[in-house]
Amino acid sequence: MIDFSLIVGGEAGFGIMTTGALFSRIVTRLGYHIFDYVEYPSLIRGGHNAYIVHVTDTETRCLKSTVDFLVCLNKDTFTIHKDKLTSSSYVVYDSEEFGIDGDNKKVSVPFKKILEELKGQAVMKNTIALGAILALLGSDLTILNALLEKQFGKKGQEVISFNKQFAEKGFNHVKSQYTSLITALLPKKESEEKLVLSGNEAFSLGAVIADCRLYCAYPMTPSSSVLTTLAAWQEKTGMIVRHAEDEISVINTAIGSSFAGVRSAVGTSGGGFALMVESVSLAGVTETPLVIFIAQRPGPATGMPTWTEQGDLLFAVHAGHGEFQKIVLSAGDVGEMLEVTLKAFDLADIYQLPVIVLSEMLLSESHASLTKSFVDSVIKQYALRRGKTITESSEKPYLRYKITDDGISPRLIPGAKGVFYQANSYEHIEDGHTTEEVIPRIQQVEKRGRKWQTYLKNDFEGPKVFGDIEKADTVLISWGGNKGAILKALEVLKERSKEVAYLHFTHLYPLNSEKLKPLFTNNKRYMLVENNFDGQFGRLLRLETGIDIKDRLLRYDGRQITPEQVVEKIL
Amino acid sequence: MSTIQDFSGYTPTWCPGCGDWGIGVAIKSALVQLNLDPSSVAAVFGIGCSGNMNDFLNAYAIHSLHGRAIPNAIGIKLANHKLPVIAIVGDGDCYGEGGNHLIHACRGNHDITVIVHDNGVYGLTTGQVAPTAQKGFKSKSTPAGIIEVPINPLMLALSSGATFVAQTFAGDTPHVISMIKEGISHKGFSLVNVLQPCVTFNKINTYQYYREHVYKLLEDYKKDNIKEAIQKGLEVNEEKFALGILYQVERPSYTDQLPQVHDTTLVEKKRFEHFEELITEFI
Repeated sequence: MIDFSLIVGGEAGFGIMTTGALFSRIVTRLGYHIFDYVEYPSLIRGGHNAYIVHVTDTETRCLKSTVDFLVCLNKDTFTIHKDKLTSSSYVVYDSEEFGIDGDNKKVSVPFKKILEELKGQAVMKNTIALGAILALLGSDLTILNALLEKQFGKKGQEVISFNKQFAEKGFNHVKSQYTSLITALLPKKESEEKLVLSGNEAFSLGAVIADCRLYCAYPMTPSSSVLTTLAAWQEKTGMIVRHAEDEISVINTAIGSSFAGVRSAVGTSGGGFALMVESVSLAGVTETPLVIFIAQRPGPATGMPTWTEQGDLLFAVHAGHGEFQKIVLSAGDVGEMLEVTLKAFDLADIYQLPVIVLSEMLLSESHASLTKSFVDSVIKQYALRRGKTITESSEKPYLRYKITDDGISPRLIPGAKGVFYQANSYEHIEDGHTTEEVIPRIQQVEKRGRKWQTYLKNDFEGPKVFGDIEKADTVLISWGGNKGAILKALEVLKERSKEVAYLHFTHLYPLNSEKLKPLFTNNKRYMLVENNFDGQFGRLLRLETGIDIKDRLLRYDGRQITPEQVVEKIL
Repeated sequence: MSTIQDFSGYTPTWCPGCGDWGIGVAIKSALVQLNLDPSSVAAVFGIGCSGNMNDFLNAYAIHSLHGRAIPNAIGIKLANHKLPVIAIVGDGDCYGEGGNHLIHACRGNHDITVIVHDNGVYGLTTGQVAPTAQKGFKSKSTPAGIIEVPINPLMLALSSGATFVAQTFAGDTPHVISMIKEGISHKGFSLVNVLQPCVTFNKINTYQYYREHVYKLLEDYKKDNIKEAIQKGLEVNEEKFALGILYQVERPSYTDQLPQVHDTTLVEKKRFEHFEELITEFI
């Protein structure tokens, strides 16, 4: 069984993340599964960056608590991560730059000397390290060289060759000097073709598949890579990607384009969403479809921008003044993010309301391998649903806010001849004109309210159940990126003959009480697992269903929940 | 051919004598004269007495939030750049609450026409001071007189990269019509600042006041000279208000520069389906 972890650490601004992404891709192409994560401070230069990867031969969605290979591009890396080393761990470093201690397998690679010899820049230390680590893992440079050719292809053969020799130097050094330490952990393996995808990339891909034509955003960690990914694709996809002056303009641009008939989305983190809130209410009362992607990070205010937390659930749920309808979804891993994103765009159109997709830094910026066959099947099965969107109407006057049993009125795309209407932020009568009268107010409030009933009946999905809920004496309740750690914990507990089940929620708000209540019985221990201080989903569950979960595992230090924490809490 | 009647919705609720009446008629007349009908134009309204025109003007419209009409209008234009898009807003709306959007709409040369009802006060909230009010203006929110100097909308637009900047006066309907027509016909961002007396809450900037302080730009005025335009714009600080197109130049609009909508509008495009091209990037 292959199951090892690697950390590459060094000073921020020296290419650690690029190296990490290359490593994840190489390992995936060799036939393995990866889950990786980056730890970095909110700085461009200085501070400590670490790329952490877990490599396995079956699917993984979490990190390992120990490190098997620690690549130290500076001394800090060793100091910060040495507690995770065991006596069988390998440490790659340059003994000419600094010394290291402890009971571990030391592999000194002359980074500094090689750089001087080849007249390379500091960032090329990474390439040397990649070569060295591939040698140590018993692999070769074939895939790395192919990826370097892809990466530098446009710059010509000279640049490609220049970069390749750094990898070769590192590789050959280990091959010749550390023959006895070389492992056979990465033989090329026959396996399905896989993608290496982050949560943000999964959302971006999902948005394109769902025919989203306008994406508007203002950069904010950890959501920014959606903006840059979609912007890089726009000439290909034909999407318009607007980087607006502020988040208020962002959401109002998207409301305008959605009104005019194109599927539209915005993306941000908690602080940016706070600026959008008044207009979430506008989308609610004008019944304008809109997808809002929120990649959470620890707040309040600026908080800890590059770390992870699930502190904005209740904020998202309650965002906006007045009473109006919205739907809040979230995903637990990249595959789910793809599925949830497609559904979010459909729900926004069908119910004509804002749909929030919650992610968190952990899911947004970590990468995982995902089989291509899964992605292909998601695309194949996806049949775009636009609900009651219409392109013409012979009705006169056309009733944009017509009273209907399901609460949903036909929505005409502007431009149709012979008719017109206004999407009104004031309370309105059926044709859109403003009103302050009692009866139409009640009718419109109730009409909008019925959209939730229709949603709960037709499109709400209860939690995914993992493990055997009948046999289990303990049931975990959680959402979002905690899924990976919890599933790993379930495996470990099963090996120890402890039967635990997991209710994983993706449809967070509104909740269907009748569907959920049968999952909760009196003879089991229920435990909430959340990456926040308040147990926000627990509060929401109580508010919506009356179910009160007292046992809680909460983490709010900016770090993710680990399988070990879950196991320890249960045993 | 449409008529004023086609564009007329509910009967306006503005105060008798309010400048909004003239602007309302002018907007409808301009749309008729441009051969548009309620199905072929999009309007976005802010919140205020001006925004209340939403119920009086027939068009595909959004009655938006205070300050946010401009980004809504930009969004409509991005989705369907063949549709003429106008934003009907007030001075508090556009120069106060939503001031940032105005600046960036000018920079982007988004092909929308922003018609600002500039009366120096907040009418709908019963007479607090607006950002265009002259220094010392006494209002309910500034009983001792406003401390700030006024925003100069013309200078703001000129310095932000607007390609069409015009000023007109609600007491001269034919002139308002002509400026709105020119603004809508202009390819790119257009600002039409309409000086408008508020008969209820502004006892200083009255019809009489404006008649004494406005003048029309001459026939031979060169519209494409930014320095000239800045000079005219600065005259506002001396209570001299030039009427006409202060500045107009051609520059590709925002959507002109988006290759993805060269052949067709965003809303009419065929769905992109070559997902394989994107997926290979992740392998």
